[in-house]
Amino acid sequence: MPVAGHERYIEVTEVSKVYRNGPVEGIEAVSSLSFTLPRGQFVAVLGPSGCGKSTLLMMLGGLEAVTDGQIVVGGEPMTGPRTSIGIMFQDPTLLPWKSALDNVLFPIRVLKQPLDAYRSRARLLLERVGLDGFMHKKPHELSGGMRQRVAICRTLVYDPELLLMDEPFSALDAITRDEMNELLLDLWQQYTKTALFVTHSIREAVFLADRVLVMTRRPATIVEDLTIPFARPRPAGLGESREFNEICGHLRGRIEQVHRRWNEVRAETRAGHTELVG
Amino acid sequence: MTIEYSAVPRIAPPTARLAGKGVPGGLRLRQLRPVILPLATAALMLLVWQITVGALRIPTVILPPPSEIGHELWRALPTLLYHAVPTTLDSLTAFFAASGLGVGLAVAITYSPFLRDMLYPNLVLFQLIPKVALAPLFVVWLGIGSESRVAFAAFVSFFPVVISAAVGFANAETSALRLCRSLTASEWQSFAMVRFPFALPAIFSGMKIAMTMAVIGVIIGEFISAQAGLGFYILYVSSRMETALIFAALLVLCVIGMALFGAVALAEQLVRRS
Repeated sequence: MPVAGHERYIEVTEVSKVYRNGPVEGIEAVSSLSFTLPRGQFVAVLGPSGCGKSTLLMMLGGLEAVTDGQIVVGGEPMTGPRTSIGIMFQDPTLLPWKSALDNVLFPIRVLKQPLDAYRSRARLLLERVGLDGFMHKKPHELSGGMRQRVAICRTLVYDPELLLMDEPFSALDAITRDEMNELLLDLWQQYTKTALFVTHSIREAVFLADRVLVMTRRPATIVEDLTIPFARPRPAGLGESREFNEICGHLRGRIEQVHRRWNEVRAETRAGHTELVG
Repeated sequence: MTIEYSAVPRIAPPTARLAGKGVPGGLRLRQLRPVILPLATAALMLLVWQITVGALRIPTVILPPPSEIGHELWRALPTLLYHAVPTTLDSLTAFFAASGLGVGLAVAITYSPFLRDMLYPNLVLFQLIPKVALAPLFVVWLGIGSESRVAFAAFVSFFPVVISAAVGFANAETSALRLCRSLTASEWQSFAMVRFPFALPAIFSGMKIAMTMAVIGVIIGEFISAQAGLGFYILYVSSRMETALIFAALLVLCVIGMALFGAVALAEQLVRRS
């Protein structure tokens, strides 16, 4: 599949990850995975839980080392975490003793930047996500959606080039989740960054992304690379359109197809599923 | 009245809550129950004690009535306070030493797997020794001055701090530590900004135990060797069969213990609020 855009901001080449000390010995979480991403694209990595998409994200963020292959971001091979990369985790990971504003300023404190210079930016971000009245509230006084909004602000406050998001809204209810997706698109349009969003929701992936990479379990690799044609800004009602649902249907079919093939192979021979999709 | 309360379910249905609002007096009494009930129980026991001692004609040397203890306490208060000073100071010194040593060791155990494997099993094993039995050793090593009592009290009380601080450091949220790592935080920053604050409640609960243990340690030390202090005073008056004064000294000790414990609890409140 040809790559949209000219510049290769992220290059993932033949990357594999094998957990040697995990609960199960020698589990291959990711196997020979390759793709490139231009700057400024919003990409969703779509796959069922346990397909290694979170592992991929952690490797891109420098929090996990690759077992094989190479990841290059912005021309530099990844060797560890970088301040030019912001990661949003599944849970908001707020410090319970700090107010919303102080949680947003936490990266600034860690990076030893002048707090005063960033305080107005932090306030602005919190206002953007509708938390004007909650800046001095502690996390336990906020709802799940509000906490995740604080986490978004915390990721944006130090202005990283690349945003990595690991199913950040998976713990939220469907309505809040839709709201958060719209908010995220809004923010992304304003602060245009390269973004990689991991999710197991087909609709979420299609709604948010310029491009969807489909990952499957065994093999833990990318089986589809689909460009989403919808223009931006995308209306909230996009999910009701026919084209949107056709794309979702196509992606669902593709995932099921791969899993069906794998199950058939497993039924015939106990080993040997690797040569089938190789 | 009490029967009526227990018949009301914990989570009252809306109608019951509305009805409760009609009788504010009933609600207030229920809110004050945690304060009134233990005080009333204590007062009742004192009353039973007073009456029983009088009715059975128990000699004052064996068991003085509360009124006698109160009287003696008032009479000997200056002496009691004089002896309370070294006990309090030694307890505080031992407590601070135990807290510093405990948190320091916990940090070492948390950050060095080598030290953890080396020290942790031994610490737990050491915990099982009845440490009171070692008190005379401290006199042999450090003499009969306050050093030996402080050292012994610190020795007795530092274990709970190590154990709870180590558990607290280990239980810091891994996701928060991962966040630090993603922000390229140094090991020291992760400790100061995440691990230590997360462990504070555990550290304080260890320190609260340490505070009470430190007082016990000092008293035992004073039993063995001292010329002043409430432990010494208790031994002295008991040799003179002044039982009411033993109880009076115990009462002062209780107040000191509660004040010191309360100070640690207050410090916790202040630290956690800021």
